[in-house]
Amino acid sequence: MRVVASRRAVLKAGALSTFAALVGPRRSDATDYADAKEVFDTVDRLEAEVDARLGAIAARLPSGRPLVSSLEADHRRHRTVRARLRGRLHLSPASPAVAPATDAALDALRTAQEALVYAHAEGLPALGDAAAVDAMAHNMIDLARHLAVIDLWMEMESSRA
Amino acid sequence: MLEPGRQSARREFVVGLARAAGVSSAILGMLDGTGEAAPRGEETDAAILSAAVALEHQAIAVYDQGARRNLVPAGLRSYATEFRGDHAGHRDTQIAILKERGAPVPDALEDYHFGPMAAGDDWIRRALTIEIAAQDAYGALISRIRAKDYLLSAAFILVDEIRHMTVWRRVLGLKIY
Repeated sequence: MRVVASRRAVLKAGALSTFAALVGPRRSDATDYADAKEVFDTVDRLEAEVDARLGAIAARLPSGRPLVSSLEADHRRHRTVRARLRGRLHLSPASPAVAPATDAALDALRTAQEALVYAHAEGLPALGDAAAVDAMAHNMIDLARHLAVIDLWMEMESSRA
Repeated sequence: MLEPGRQSARREFVVGLARAAGVSSAILGMLDGTGEAAPRGEETDAAILSAAVALEHQAIAVYDQGARRNLVPAGLRSYATEFRGDHAGHRDTQIAILKERGAPVPDALEDYHFGPMAAGDDWIRRALTIEIAAQDAYGALISRIRAKDYLLSAAFILVDEIRHMTVWRRVLGLKIY
């Protein structure tokens, strides 16, 4: 069984007796975003890292290319959604994302993907606009599915090893 | 993205499952798009919490029935146990929020009338339908939540539901990307 991230573990903790116990002291590893701009900038940066890692994996592993191309297509759609939301919320357009240097390690891809999913989840309360919450939550649904697919891929690799 | 016809069929199916779980008519209206847009506020948050607890009770019942009647294939029991644990955590978290706000907490139904379920793929398909309903319901309702802390919790719950759905789709050989 893989180790679950602490935030998920908190949500699973059935022993919590009150809402205050869950969220009273903000969880130490949760990011508290100031506003929508910070959320979008963070998501842009994390998505660029995931894209770079996917690119590295596709270059090294031809069998992974259909998956990579499907995930990249979702990212392109998500960027269009964020551009529309930036306009709706009167924010400046996104700066061109700089792709960091990466490798083709699957566990590093998973870590980056999880950070991207968490940025969406933790960013929703900072958006302050129901339509933006709806759109970003639907992007998050795609990204959480990508994370689950990566988990299954890793499980398959480890059972082969 | 689903085509309009399939979208409408899926919405009907989600509303049907939510109705069977005991979800209120106000929330059913939000899910099928026929209800009035409720203003974001404490009352709407409580209605969403109550609906979410009802759906979590229903999901737990499917997993309990799978375990009790030995319907889960041996190689998949660890997933079923993990996912049942997730649903219990979601239920308890949201019950705690309802209680803190002094709102009534819906009980689990005595019988969900799941009908006959065979071991293996038949049970997995049933678990998948419940996970799809949960994902669609949270996805449809999340933008109506006002309280920031509940919104954050609902987002992480939704992430769990998607993991469950993706795993069962993979097991059944359905498309996952």
